[in-house]
Amino acid sequence: MKLAIIGGGPSAFYVASRIFQLLPAAKPSSPSLRIHLFDRLWAPHGLVRYGVAPDHPEVKNCTHKFDAAALDPRLRFFGNVNVGDPANPIPHAINLPLSSIFKNYTHILFSTGCTLPTLHPALPPSTYCIPALSLVHWYTQHPTNPPPPPLENVSHVSLIGNGNVSLDVARMLLTNPDVLSKYDVPQHVIDHLSRSNVKHVSIIGRRGPLEAAFTTKELREMINLPEASMIPLDLDSMVPVSKDSLTRQQSRVLQLLAKGSAKPYGTTSKTWSLDFLRSPVGLAPPSATSQAQLKLAHTKVDAKTSRAVPTGETSVFSTDLVTTSLGFRSPPSSLFSSEDLGHLRTISGRLVSSSGHVLQNAYASGWASTGAKGVLASTMIDAYAVADTILTDLMPKDEPVKTTPASPTREQGVADDDVAEIVMNPNPHPEDPPEEIKEALKEGMVTTYSDWKKVDEEEVRRGEVLGKERERMGWEEAREFLTKTKPRT
Amino acid sequence: MCGTSTSKQYDDTEPAQAPMSRHMGIDRPAPGSGIKVNFQDSKGNLLKTVEANEGDDILAIAHEYDIDLEGACEGSVACSTCHVILPPEYYDLLPEPEDDENDMLDMAFGLTDTSRLGCQVKLTKEMDGMDVRLPAATRNMFVDGKKASH
Ligand SMILES: Cc1cc2nc3c(=O)[nH]c(=O)nc-3n(C[C@H](O)[C@H](O)[C@H](O)COP(=O)(O)OP(=O)(O)OC[C@H]3O[C@@H](n4cnc5c(N)ncnc54)[C@H](O)[C@@H]3O)c2cc1C
Ligand SMILES: NC(=O)c1ccc[n+]([C@@H]2O[C@H](COP(=O)([O-])OP(=O)(O)OC[C@H]3O[C@@H](n4cnc5c(N)ncnc54)[C@H](OP(=O)(O)O)[C@@H]3O)[C@@H](O)[C@H]2O)c1
Ligand code: FES
Repeated sequence: MKLAIIGGGPSAFYVASRIFQLLPAAKPSSPSLRIHLFDRLWAPHGLVRYGVAPDHPEVKNCTHKFDAAALDPRLRFFGNVNVGDPANPIPHAINLPLSSIFKNYTHILFSTGCTLPTLHPALPPSTYCIPALSLVHWYTQHPTNPPPPPLENVSHVSLIGNGNVSLDVARMLLTNPDVLSKYDVPQHVIDHLSRSNVKHVSIIGRRGPLEAAFTTKELREMINLPEASMIPLDLDSMVPVSKDSLTRQQSRVLQLLAKGSAKPYGTTSKTWSLDFLRSPVGLAPPSATSQAQLKLAHTKVDAKTSRAVPTGETSVFSTDLVTTSLGFRSPPSSLFSSEDLGHLRTISGRLVSSSGHVLQNAYASGWASTGAKGVLASTMIDAYAVADTILTDLMPKDEPVKTTPASPTREQGVADDDVAEIVMNPNPHPEDPPEEIKEALKEGMVTTYSDWKKVDEEEVRRGEVLGKERERMGWEEAREFLTKTKPRT
Repeated sequence: MCGTSTSKQYDDTEPAQAPMSRHMGIDRPAPGSGIKVNFQDSKGNLLKTVEANEGDDILAIAHEYDIDLEGACEGSVACSTCHVILPPEYYDLLPEPEDDENDMLDMAFGLTDTSRLGCQVKLTKEMDGMDVRLPAATRNMFVDGKKASH
């Protein structure tokens, strides 16, 4: 098997790692195996590098396992290569058509994640309404290079959606930059945050405390913020009296909310609030004399469907910056993407064509396959299951591989546009990447894993000098650094 | 070239080098002298009986003996991939989980009343002979410990 994995995030590395574990190189019965990972970002690890909040450094320990997988000589990483997405958002990434992958590989796996933010029809992006992903990309120095948010002129921030991404952004805005500066936060971001005038962050959810999308740990981090306090909640008006049917997580969240923030409200200069049962319906722009006006419909949670339904009442918030944090989706332009699902069509990790056929030797894993749901632990479990599926399809039937018990189907979407089915090459060159990649490697336009490790070490070294976890490089800087360190041939 | 950089190991042209498993720094006791732990799969079938020392945690022991227990955050209570299920009589011997462990357990798949994070359970002599069951891996995605979505 010569497998091309599109995407080099955690899902891609967990799949590769599992395949190596199940087919050890040293075992004579292991079939010949090559895995090539392509990512349009020059650095590997997807959202672990360009998503996970800087004050969660422990989460990034998973990269040690990815490093170990990359040590297997059967794996190669090619960074700065955008595969098949016509709307390539990375200006410096080279474009590789999917046809090149089909020609050069026996198998393909899409681990492309969900790279686009979900937008709200009533809240189109503008200078005062920014998707949370742009803020995340700003503070992680993502190669799309978005401008910094206008924090100097902002006192009140409204975050729409109360998932963990929303809370990540809230913590970044409410934590003292001196605390953040020891983590993996670029110096220019720290400088910008030091000039911030943010005083209040309102986290707006269309449903109630029991349906909140954040998890307990992230709520506790908010509750324990040393320099910000929460406006106390009137929980009784929002939660049913009988607590019998609550899950463990729901009861623990309620307990935390009832206790309130560690710093009592009124004792800190910065504050935050959880505004439940409010759904945005419109946003009037700021004027010379007034802030932007965010119009919210009041909602209640339907007991049967647990959906938010409007009560008919509305209210208006004066705010300076609206940030939408409503989840993520895969680009609708990508092959096998279903507009309705917001991710690729799969059954048990196998790709499905728009006409409903399961494709041969073509797979998807991670957020590309499941949608933008779940933490690394769930991404890992999914990746292991997909690795098992790939190997089950690959191995002769009398030589079963150990598989994870799997439910027979995942959701199957229906789309009416027809997509040409993938035809992989059963006999490609046994080792080589596509010609275009070989050329681009010579020109220094593609990064290898060893390039990344050199940059990684250097970033950590530069960080040590500054007394922080690491100081990041951008593409230009990394390229220059690599050119300098490359041995001349 | 003198190989001052560790990066060289990642070159695909280098001779084969098996990926190393993380060394969590525990020592195996002399056979017969350690605390016995029976690792079981999700159905309760014995995988391996191993020996470890007082103070070793279950994640480190699993890694030392190649048991398929992940530890994505390497014991920092930030991932829940080291979730294990203990027999009630042994669970009761342990100090109550801290808030941070409970927060991660909220998200663990297949949570039971006697679930713990393997990285937080340190062996004591009283735990000799304990069964440690791994939860069932499943492809039915568990998402942030919640059921209904909008
Ligand atoms: C802001 C944020 C913070 C998070 N924090 C945490 C946390 O603290 N703890 C936790 O457990 N989980 C966290 N998560 C969840 C975790 O990041 C995901 O579970 C995980 O990253 C999903 O992995 P993936 O490989 O499927 O996708 P991704 O990590 O998104 O990787 C996909 C990769 O594919 C590449 N790609 C996409 N399209 C193409 C193309 N056409 N050609 C080439 N390459 C392509 C992308 O550049 C990307 O590198 C967070 C998520 C977000 C959004
Ligand atoms: N620290 C961590 O572990 C960490 C950090 C970041 C992300 N993650 C994970 O990554 C995944 C994605 O996180 P996320 O925060 O982007 O997404 P999420 O958890 O799905 O949250 C999305 C939020 O947006 C709301 N929303 C969606 N559409 C809306 C609409 N049209 N109008 C109003 N509100 C709307 C949702 O409300 P409804 O619930 O009502 O739909 C929800 O509150 C999650 O599984 C998360 O746990 C984890
Ligand atoms: S190893 Fe991550 S929580 Fe135990």
